[in-house]
Amino acid sequence: MAEESTIHDVIMIGAGPAALSAAVYTSREDIETLLFEKGVVGGLTSITDKVDNYPGFPEGVEGLTLGDNFRLQAERFGAVIELGEVMSVKKVGDIVYLETTSGDMRARSVLVATGSSYVKLNVPGESEYYGRGVHNCATCDGAFYRDKHLVVVGSGNSAAQEALFLTRYATNIDILIRGEAWKASEVLIREVNEHPKLKVHFNMTTEEIVGVDGKVTKVVGKDKVKGEFIDFPTDGVFVFVGLKPVTYFLKDSGVELDEQGFVKTDIKLQTAVPGIFCAGDVRSGATLQIASAVGEGASAALSIREYLEARPVEQ
Amino acid sequence: MGKKITIFTTNTCAYCVMVKRFLDSKGKTYEVVNLDDNPERQAEVLAKSGALTVPVTLIQHDDDTEEVVIGYNLSRLAPAIA
Repeated sequence: MAEESTIHDVIMIGAGPAALSAAVYTSREDIETLLFEKGVVGGLTSITDKVDNYPGFPEGVEGLTLGDNFRLQAERFGAVIELGEVMSVKKVGDIVYLETTSGDMRARSVLVATGSSYVKLNVPGESEYYGRGVHNCATCDGAFYRDKHLVVVGSGNSAAQEALFLTRYATNIDILIRGEAWKASEVLIREVNEHPKLKVHFNMTTEEIVGVDGKVTKVVGKDKVKGEFIDFPTDGVFVFVGLKPVTYFLKDSGVELDEQGFVKTDIKLQTAVPGIFCAGDVRSGATLQIASAVGEGASAALSIREYLEARPVEQ
Repeated sequence: MGKKITIFTTNTCAYCVMVKRFLDSKGKTYEVVNLDDNPERQAEVLAKSGALTVPVTLIQHDDDTEEVVIGYNLSRLAPAIA
C-alpha cells in the first residue's frame, strides 16, 4: 500500500482507556490525533461486566458503557479511530514511520497504549477447546452456559468479577486458585464468599481440560497440599490467570522493554526513543487499573504536547 | 442482490459492538440475532461455527455459499463482506 502524504501530529497505537484519555487531551489542544485499534475500542474495560472502582460512578458502571463514553468524548474533540493494526514502528530522523493495515503512515509523535492480553494456562486441552468450552471473555460467551456448570481459573479482580457475572447464567461455579489466597479486592472477595453459586478451591492447580465428543466435560485439578488429583465436572472453563503486554510491533523500534516485556519509560512517559511515548497497562510499572491508565494517558498527552511544541513544523 | 449478513450477539458482548460498527462503517445492512433474547438459537451458532462464542457473523454470498467469521476478526471479516 502507498504511503500517506500526511504527517500526523500523533498516532496512538491502541484505543483503550489510556489512549482515549490521551486523545481527549491532545485533540482538545488541536493536536491532530489518529488512533489505531485492532481489537475492541475501550480495551479490556469494554469486555468487563462492571467497573466498580472508577471514580465518578457511585453505583459502578458497565465496562461497555464506560469504554464507549471514553470513545465518544475523544471523538467529540476530533480524534479519529481507525479499526486496524500497526505492524511495525521505526523512527528515522524526526519522523516515526508506521506500517499499518491501512498503509504506511508517518507521525511526528507516537503513543504506545496497546495494553495487555490474557495469558493462557498452557495445559492439555486448553487450545483444543478454545472458543468451544475454554474462554477468556465472560461477557461474550457466558450466555452459552445457561443452567450449566462452570469452572473459573484465577485469583485476581478479573477472575472474581467475571465469576460473579457468570452466576447470572450458570447453576454453580468452581473457582480454582493456584495460591493460598485471593489477589482480588476485599469487596469482590466478600461478594464471592457470600454468593451461593460460587465455591472457591485454594492451592488448586489446573492440570488438564478434558472433553468428550468435542465438548468440555471436566477440569482436572491438583491439590498442592494433599498432592491429590481432583476432577471438577464442568461444561466450560473461563481463564483469567494474568496479563501479558502487547508489544510485538515494537521489535526493531529501539523502544526498550523490561524483563517481563513491558515498555520502559522515563518520568515524562517517554520511551528510549524520543517522540515515542507510552501509557497504560503496557508500560513498565503500570498498576493495571483503569483510573491509572486514564491518568497516564493525560500525563502522556501533556508530554506529547511539550515535545511537539519544541519541534514546530516548518511552513 | 447484496450479501445477506447475520450477526449472532449477546447484550454484553463488546466484540459484537465492534463487528456492527465495522459493518456500519462499510454501509452494510445486517440482521442481529441476540442470544440473550433468543437462547433457543444457540445451537445454531455451534452448528454453523463449531464455537460457543459471539460474535459469529454469517455471510451468505450471491452464489448461496455461506462464510462464517468467528469473533471480531477484521482480516477475515473485511474480505468476506467486500
